[in-house]
Amino acid sequence: MTDLTGPQVSTFTAFRATLRRDLLIALKRRNDLLNPLMFFLIVVSLFPLGVSSDPQELTRIAAGTVWVSALLASMLSLDNLYRADYEDGSLEQLLLSPQPLYFLVLAKNIAHWLVSGLPVVLLAPLLAYMLYLPADAYWTLMLTLLLGTPVLSLFGSIGVALTVGLGSRGLILAVIVLPLTVPVLIIGAKAVADVSLGLALGMHYSLLGALLALSLSLAPLASAAALKISVN
Amino acid sequence: MPDSPAASPTVTQPLLRAQALFCERDDRVLFSGLDFELNAGDLMQVQGSNGSGKTTLLRILCGLNASYEGELFWRGVPIDEDREAFLASLLYLGHRVGVNKILTARENLRWSCALHSPVSDADIDAALRRVGLAGYADVTCRNMSAGQQQRVSLARLLLSPATLWVLDEPFTTLDVHGVKTLEGLLAEHVEAGGAVLVTTHHALTVPCTLRRLSLDKRGVVAA
Amino acid sequence: MWQWFFRLGSPKWFYELSGRWLPWLYVAMTVLLSVGVIWALLFVPQDYQQGDTIRIMYVHVPVASISLACFPLMAVAGVITLVWKMKLADMVAMCAAPIGAWFTAVALATGAIWGQPIWGTWWAWDARLTSMLIQFFLLIGVIALRSAIESQDAAARACALLSIVGAINVPIIKYSVEWWNTLHQPASNFAMDNESPFGPEIWVPLVIMIFAVYLFFVISLILSTRNEILVRERRSQWVVDLIAAQKPQGA
Repeated sequence: MTDLTGPQVSTFTAFRATLRRDLLIALKRRNDLLNPLMFFLIVVSLFPLGVSSDPQELTRIAAGTVWVSALLASMLSLDNLYRADYEDGSLEQLLLSPQPLYFLVLAKNIAHWLVSGLPVVLLAPLLAYMLYLPADAYWTLMLTLLLGTPVLSLFGSIGVALTVGLGSRGLILAVIVLPLTVPVLIIGAKAVADVSLGLALGMHYSLLGALLALSLSLAPLASAAALKISVN
Repeated sequence: MPDSPAASPTVTQPLLRAQALFCERDDRVLFSGLDFELNAGDLMQVQGSNGSGKTTLLRILCGLNASYEGELFWRGVPIDEDREAFLASLLYLGHRVGVNKILTARENLRWSCALHSPVSDADIDAALRRVGLAGYADVTCRNMSAGQQQRVSLARLLLSPATLWVLDEPFTTLDVHGVKTLEGLLAEHVEAGGAVLVTTHHALTVPCTLRRLSLDKRGVVAA
Repeated sequence: MWQWFFRLGSPKWFYELSGRWLPWLYVAMTVLLSVGVIWALLFVPQDYQQGDTIRIMYVHVPVASISLACFPLMAVAGVITLVWKMKLADMVAMCAAPIGAWFTAVALATGAIWGQPIWGTWWAWDARLTSMLIQFFLLIGVIALRSAIESQDAAARACALLSIVGAINVPIIKYSVEWWNTLHQPASNFAMDNESPFGPEIWVPLVIMIFAVYLFFVISLILSTRNEILVRERRSQWVVDLIAAQKPQGA
């Protein structure tokens, strides 16, 4: 109890501590880390089984398949974002921090993306190969996923924050969040499809970038407000 | 160390003042026209039967519950006007202890303190020793009993510079020894110029004056 | 101005005022609706391409324009709920969601019926139909969230927030869907400017129908909100008095 008389903690310290804590929890729960990734892999593998194993057919649906599967995998991993914190009371501690909630929620969202979004981005080329996506589209796929999956985490966070207090969440999270993610899906999948047609992609990237910037600046605020409503 | 209210320019103001608080839940009025003041050095026990709104009152004071009418002041300033200053002086321990079961005691304390002000490992060890958890710093909380998890959260009392402690049933899972320790902590805190608001069904034995706020009778009862 | 604003927040005041307005609204709607329907069905000339099919426009366009207005309405009510904690705004938002969902469903259905002879299919992934469908999903989400949260106060604030998030998203969804695919005729066809390809004999009945359907929406919303007011205020004295006064007539 000696060095507590120092100056007020910076927001950055609280941000970093929250990020570190959430990453630590994720590392200690490897199953939760792997499950969405396995889900991603399985869903993508279902498409050739359900649609056709014809390479040409698969090439056509490859981009959409990977994107839809990434969307569903992101949905599946979202539930972990605030639930444990809500149940054990850590969420109340977070809300009572004198630091701006925006940054604390942002830290949690970044941690969520690092453990659920980034692995999907890295795994995507393998799945793209299995779906006979042309090699020149790999980078586009990864880059659009890199820009798009954070948006999924940020939007999803609002939905989880709104539903975290509900006893029976069921599918309500997906019903709330999936319609919000339509623009990301459309732009991401279209970019991968358009690169195969040899079209310029500047527009696609700037639209995704704009969506990311918009959701980075607004979504954590909405999540923070939703968390306050949920603990009420 | 709790910051000394003597250093504050608004020393004449009570730390916390509630004015005409009204709260209704599911069409049932929990309390209305509730007024009280909490001064530096006050230890106040909120009393009331089950369902009388003790927890709700504490959560309203902390800002976790917004479904109320009335005014709240921190050092004479409406809380909504400077919530940051209020939160910086507040430590709340709720029903749910705020201890993640996957993390160790140290990891939990490091984070929850960093939300207010970061602490060193030596401080954490000292605080855990004080609450009777010496040697438990690096034990995963899942492997602890409910009482031990409660003690982990109590260690935050020692690590926090907050002036106002709001404690919701902090005694429930504690053994005789833990109860003694906590009573000691409460007494020390109010002696050093802090203030405590606590709900408990346990009969507090503290060396300082204990004020009582009864929700059944609506108002402060001196004791 | 502010006094007026806060008086509007009083459910009792709204209940009494809307009770006085309703008969006039009924009359206005009946007149406009009969004039509009008769004009549109019997007197509007056939379209040189679409023939009699064009007449479905007189239902589709008014209904679709209301479904588009529904999210902004709910978002404004949401802001009022969150900022001023006004209960009436939440009641309006709560009642607007299912009505808006029905209007969206009707807009989708009439769009499909209109599409059949034009495109040769009941459903096309055309930009406007698609974004209408997504908006329908968003509305279903708000309704589902409302029914999932037990505490009325929390449900009010959660739905208010979701409506605001949804309202910010609707234009983004609309833009991205349009950018993705467009089959539909551009919306400017319905603009009432001089360059409109339609003469007044086409658009005057359309305007009448738009007003009539708007009135229908407003009346539905008022009736629904009045019910909700009675349910939520059932313990207050004025509702008790009101019901006591009604009883002898019913008996």
